[in-house]
Amino acid sequence: MTEETNRRRRGKEEAPPAADTEATLAEEAPESAQEGEYETEDVAAAPAEGSKGDFLSEQRRRESLAIDVTRDFPDKYRLSGAMEGCSDEQKLELFERLVKLRLFDARMRKLFRQGRFEGTYYSQIGQEACDAVLTYQMKRDDFVGPSHRDLGAAVGKGVPLKFLTAQVYNRVDSPDGGRYTACHYWHPDYGVMQPATSIMMNWIAATGAAFGYKMLGKDNVAAAFGGDGATAHGDFHEGCNFAGVHRLPIVYVIQNNLWAESLPLHLTSALENLSDRAKAFGFPGVSIDGNDVLAVWNATRAALERARSGEGPTLIEMKTYRWFGHSDIDPADYRSDDEVEAWMAKDPLPRFSAWLEDEGLLDDETLGGVVERVEEEIETAVDFAESSAKPGAETFLSEVYAESYPGFDVRAGR
Amino acid sequence: MASLSYIEAINRTLHEEMARDATTFLIGEDIGIYGGVFKATRGLLQEFGPERVIDSPISESLIAGMTVGAAMVGCRPLPEIQFADFISPAFDQIVQQLARFRWRTNGTYSMPVTIRTPYGGGVGGGVFHSQSNEAWFMNVPGLVMVAPSTVRDAAGLLRAAIRSEDPVLYWEHKKLYRSIKDELPEDEEFVTAIGEAHVAREGRDVTAISFGYTHHLAMTAAERLAEDGIEVEVIDLRTLLPLDTPTIKESVAKTGKAVIVHEAPKIGGIGGEIAAVLVVGSLVLACLAVAVVGTVAWPVDGSRGGGEGGQLVQGSRRLRGGIALTFLAVAALAVPLRRRDTFDVLN
Ligand SMILES: Cc1ncc(C[n+]2csc(CCOP(=O)(O)OP(=O)(O)O)c2C)c(N)n1
Ligand SMILES: [Mg+2]
Repeated sequence: MTEETNRRRRGKEEAPPAADTEATLAEEAPESAQEGEYETEDVAAAPAEGSKGDFLSEQRRRESLAIDVTRDFPDKYRLSGAMEGCSDEQKLELFERLVKLRLFDARMRKLFRQGRFEGTYYSQIGQEACDAVLTYQMKRDDFVGPSHRDLGAAVGKGVPLKFLTAQVYNRVDSPDGGRYTACHYWHPDYGVMQPATSIMMNWIAATGAAFGYKMLGKDNVAAAFGGDGATAHGDFHEGCNFAGVHRLPIVYVIQNNLWAESLPLHLTSALENLSDRAKAFGFPGVSIDGNDVLAVWNATRAALERARSGEGPTLIEMKTYRWFGHSDIDPADYRSDDEVEAWMAKDPLPRFSAWLEDEGLLDDETLGGVVERVEEEIETAVDFAESSAKPGAETFLSEVYAESYPGFDVRAGR
Repeated sequence: MASLSYIEAINRTLHEEMARDATTFLIGEDIGIYGGVFKATRGLLQEFGPERVIDSPISESLIAGMTVGAAMVGCRPLPEIQFADFISPAFDQIVQQLARFRWRTNGTYSMPVTIRTPYGGGVGGGVFHSQSNEAWFMNVPGLVMVAPSTVRDAAGLLRAAIRSEDPVLYWEHKKLYRSIKDELPEDEEFVTAIGEAHVAREGRDVTAISFGYTHHLAMTAAERLAEDGIEVEVIDLRTLLPLDTPTIKESVAKTGKAVIVHEAPKIGGIGGEIAAVLVVGSLVLACLAVAVVGTVAWPVDGSRGGGEGGQLVQGSRRLRGGIALTFLAVAALAVPLRRRDTFDVLN
């Protein structure tokens, strides 16, 4: 392994990841406290008897690799090239967003295992270079239509983490007052739509937003996000087709992470490149390495420009990988360890940080500052959510209708 | 003021409301160049241009679902589903997205969307052009459904729907399109309040509750029964969801008997829902007679199929007119009444 890995100027041995990174992200409660949870709540998804310890320690191993955003990686994955039109400040700011995304995600996984919030958690670890890199470039009032695995869409667009933790915890300080669904990140003030859990509804809605912008003569653009599995849904086709016909100002992004829950890509589509689907709609489609920040930046930048200048939609397939289960109650034992390891070696964060180092933009001090700020925001956000009240059931009775009707009584049930 | 048909009232209201509000747009199949398969949208493309009158591809899910994003960025969308029978591909978007979006976002976004769709039998449409499938949507809090039976309400409810902040499913009856005419009120801004049923005829013996085309059957039956001295109170629901339960209850508290008439099969239908409203949990109304007149449980509730099916349907149509009469009579005359939740008229 040592020969193929790229030994960094500031190698692991000489400078292990900042100690406080590990300290902050270390479990606050012993995981044994919640190990039972895998037995009770995840009956169907639980790993086979006897493998639970291995499973959890493997999860921890991956998490500690994940939070090391400057770890070594094979030389062949070294990035080269430029980020067109991106200032040095923007490069560093984007890097900070990606670190934020990664550390936040790892932290949420632990909090979930500790039983600190209900429902489940959809980790995006491994896919950070995808949606965040696009939404970072959008205007605040542009429209983003995220799906269930799009933490990055919100973080990229600048939604403060405290609203995201409040969403995860379903507390009153979330944008929906704690009535909706964990991990379905949104914020009206940042132009991030509330995702529907039903796959591709956001795709159709974002298409409608793009139509609305065009009809109202606004110069805003929309972006929609979906997975490889989602491209088989009828709404993918209805949305893209309409956008093609009307040359709508929209960027469509497919994060192809090879799996749709337990469904391998070859059972979703007979295509090799999902961007080929764009041919059917009469607009360009490109397939790129979704773990290469530079490639994603350049492709999304061009697509946004195309959309904003009235030339119409673009479909971008970003080839990437999720390190963990579909959600955090899924042990993902339908995938081989080799496959996971191979993709972990293509981790987008160390690749980007190494490139920033090569460019002379990132050094230990800068990195330390980034990590410190990010960790502080995460901790403040977790405190914010944990001290935010749980909504009372009473509060859920409102807002069924905007208008009032003589025969409607929410309590009467009709 | 000249008399207008039901479909002309719809067309005129669309013209007026689109002229009034530049954020409105129409989207649907064959609505622009062709003016709609029934001509409900005739002239709108010419007046408002292809930016606001969108001839959509055959994509019902898109037609309904794109309105969510469009509404979020400031539009007031007016989608049309060409036939109610083809609304099922849009069901997901209407039920899961449009109807719940306001609740989900804790009131941050409302969905001022009016979905128009032609429904109902009696025009020889066959299995896929005849359904009265409004009951599919009855189980959806957050959604509003209106079904005008008169020319005035066709205009008044449409205007109210377009101006409403809630998503409204507007059911326009195909058989009424050109079979009734009336004058519209002088006041061009008039609306029919959503959520309020209309007591179209007062009576003390029995309440007939209906909407759309069957409202006219109920009115005819009431006139005929009046000749026999039976006074029927006729309620035109106008809004199907949320139902105007106060008006319905008040009337039935007075008459003690109710006949609910609709085109759809009785199973899981609006008749059963109203019967439940009347009977369940009401001591005062416990001695009611409630009857539901609907179609037998066959998969089409239009009036004409082909071959044997067609005869069945036609037979039922004859029966249906008669049934309303028979039932109103039975319900009115049966004294003392044994308590029954529903009479199954066709069994
Ligand atoms: C219409 C619909 N069908 C099924 C589901 C259940 N479901 C949620 S996510 C998912 C897999 C999605 O796979 P993909 O599009 O590749 O996205 P990924 O989870 O890999 O990010 C499924 C089947 C759903 N939410 N909505
Ligand atoms: Mg996938």
